[in-house]
Amino acid sequence: MNRVLHPLAWWIWAGSIAIGIAKASSVLLALVTVGAVAIVVSRKSENAPWSRSFQWALKIGIWVIAIRTFTGILIGVPSAGRTLFRIPQIPLPTWMPGIRIGGVVTAERLMATAHDGIMLAAIIALLGAAASLASPHRLLRSLPITVYEFGVAVVIATSVLPQLVSSSARIRQAQRLRGQNNRGLRGWRRLALPLLEDALARSLDLAAAMDSRGYGFSRKRSKYRPNSWRVSEYLLCSSAVIAIVFPIMTLAPAFVALVLVPSQKTSTRQVPVTT
Amino acid sequence: MIVFSGVSLIYPTSTKTILEDLTFTVAEGELVLVMGSTGSGKSSLLRLVNGLVPHHTGGILAGDISIQGISTREVKPGGLAHLVGIVGQNPLNGFVTDIVEEELAFGMETLNFAPDVMRKRVEEVLDLLSLAHLRSRSIATLSGGEQQRVAIGSALVMHPRILVLDEPTSALDPIAAEEVLSIVHRLVHDLGLTVIISEHKLERVIQFADRIIHIKGDGHAHIGTPQEVLKSSNIAPPIIELARALNLPDISLSVRDMRRVTENLRAELSKIDVSPALERHPTAPEVVIVDKVSHSYGVSPALREISLAIGAGEIVAIMGRNGAGKSSLLRAIAGILKINRGGISVCGLNPLELQGNERTKTIGFIPQDPSDLLYGQSVLAECRAADKDNKINEGETFALLEKFVPGISGKTHPRDLSEGQRLALALSVVLSAKPQVLILDEPTRGLDYAAKNSLSATLREFAGKGCTILVATHDVELVAELATRTIFIADGDVVADGLTVDVLLSSPAFAPQVAKIMSPAPWLTVKDVVAAIYTTR
Repeated sequence: MNRVLHPLAWWIWAGSIAIGIAKASSVLLALVTVGAVAIVVSRKSENAPWSRSFQWALKIGIWVIAIRTFTGILIGVPSAGRTLFRIPQIPLPTWMPGIRIGGVVTAERLMATAHDGIMLAAIIALLGAAASLASPHRLLRSLPITVYEFGVAVVIATSVLPQLVSSSARIRQAQRLRGQNNRGLRGWRRLALPLLEDALARSLDLAAAMDSRGYGFSRKRSKYRPNSWRVSEYLLCSSAVIAIVFPIMTLAPAFVALVLVPSQKTSTRQVPVTT
Repeated sequence: MIVFSGVSLIYPTSTKTILEDLTFTVAEGELVLVMGSTGSGKSSLLRLVNGLVPHHTGGILAGDISIQGISTREVKPGGLAHLVGIVGQNPLNGFVTDIVEEELAFGMETLNFAPDVMRKRVEEVLDLLSLAHLRSRSIATLSGGEQQRVAIGSALVMHPRILVLDEPTSALDPIAAEEVLSIVHRLVHDLGLTVIISEHKLERVIQFADRIIHIKGDGHAHIGTPQEVLKSSNIAPPIIELARALNLPDISLSVRDMRRVTENLRAELSKIDVSPALERHPTAPEVVIVDKVSHSYGVSPALREISLAIGAGEIVAIMGRNGAGKSSLLRAIAGILKINRGGISVCGLNPLELQGNERTKTIGFIPQDPSDLLYGQSVLAECRAADKDNKINEGETFALLEKFVPGISGKTHPRDLSEGQRLALALSVVLSAKPQVLILDEPTRGLDYAAKNSLSATLREFAGKGCTILVATHDVELVAELATRTIFIADGDVVADGLTVDVLLSSPAFAPQVAKIMSPAPWLTVKDVVAAIYTTR
């Protein structure tokens, strides 16, 4: 059995790589890194309700690229360069100089907006990867939470959110069978009502269960399987820190994501610590 | 152990008194069954035991409840966590962590137990509930019975003196239910655990109960031994209904006792000819045709080359263990699930391509949770929307609902209805389109006997008009009452397919109570027995 790494280690890893990509600001590097991270996710992802968040993040990323490129073409500061095509320009009042809607679209402008979109999408994908590898549910539970109400709220939010996704699919399906076409504003209202009720009922159930199992009753909390910070965690984090330090070395983040992580041996089975 | 003295409960938003001046004590090692119709306050009573009511829900409480001398007024539910273990109606909603082992340890972690104690207790519970092979599995991937066992386990690791179970078997198939209940029974006898349990399917738990609290719904409760309470109660499992129908002087709670009492009667009845009266109509046109359908989720196959033909007006029950493929088959027929291989036709059409009105006129589908279908702000608004969608005269849907459950106020919000009423509303909305095929996925969850009877009557009436009905259910008694044909699915294969009588009698675990008592005679319900006696005289 592979030891499960400390959830914080994965988040630091993903966060550092994200910073590395942002600093390097190279589309090729970002794409290669996301590809490498995808391989890590497919090999190391835990079997939990959050494990599909990487796929979700990729889908969101594609939307981000599309929207960013579209608005980038439509609105912007005129820039010089090779003209690709021309769309009708909407005249703006004189007190808004420098900004225009529509007009000439140059190759440079298209490249710049696409570049921004891809960088943003890559960072979102990395956050999704972190959620896939170590669910926020587990991460937030492992952090010391001193305020009781805050702790309950965090646990409920992180466990209800993935359930919302599955219930929304279920309800949409049921209503399609009722002959409803859930499009537009009315469709949303029809979906939102049962969905919110479902989420509220689940949250109340969970809060009641946590209460009756003594959550927050004792000031101190013991750990059944302490998430110890060992060599694997240090390796993982330090490998990712390289990604920040050497963003100039073109392929460093991708190298870190692909080579270092899957090769490390994580077969030591964890034995609970007796104190 | 548990002392209720003069307890009355009322919720601020309702005018109904839930409990009124309830006084009783539960001794150590007792198994107490709480029964009552839906919405009568069973869950409220259970949650009073550890103070979730009123600490968590609000409400006005008079009187006092003390657990081993600790009053629930003075401590919050967390303060009783070491004494009272509580398992809610839907255990999946109460899981805090993702992994079985972590979930078992959660309660002990919060109470700051030492790691070696935790370790030992987790191992104990894993063995006690036969969960050892599931220890590192993700809870979301477990079957319903396994989840229920994990929930009970995570209450038991705290070594509570009292275990409170709210409808622990409502989502389980008969075999998994038996497993869970026999574990509970063993805990009571081996560890002297005090158990308070609520259940609608009385036939499953009645033989284990030491005492019954029957909540009448008007605030009053009848407390006594099962014999005392069941003699006069309006809620009774088939075994009691049979005793009443046969005018037996004493009430027996187990099949064994009942067989002893009815020995002479059975001998007398065995002389009559009992060839099954019902045969399938060979002339009925085939409405649903399933042709070599296979489907798999990832690597695990859910359906393997299933072929079926279902005729008009048939009521078909689909049974099988949790996760056997019942829901997949129904969803494939309804056209929600895109199958990997094979073909399905409903009334000659491909269910996947049906849209809008054509769909509602062909297939009606009631999901496991009927409220998924509802979005109106009131019952009346819901019915009007259905009228408009189906292009029928205004008021027709509401008239249909009035027929199922008379006396529903049109102004009520659908969420405020009882489980039975909500199912009736969803049924009226779906049936107002007059579908040719009606599919129900597990309709009896949380329904009491009265609601179940009215459901069967409604469904039978529609089948009589030529509507084909498919029901996936764990409820053997509903199948006995309702279905003409039963299909048994195991591991994606059709294992048995035939007349309900033949299929149900061939497996002891799935035989209804009456059939077990009257075996080897092929009668499934009290009605069958009474009809048989009538013919002899």
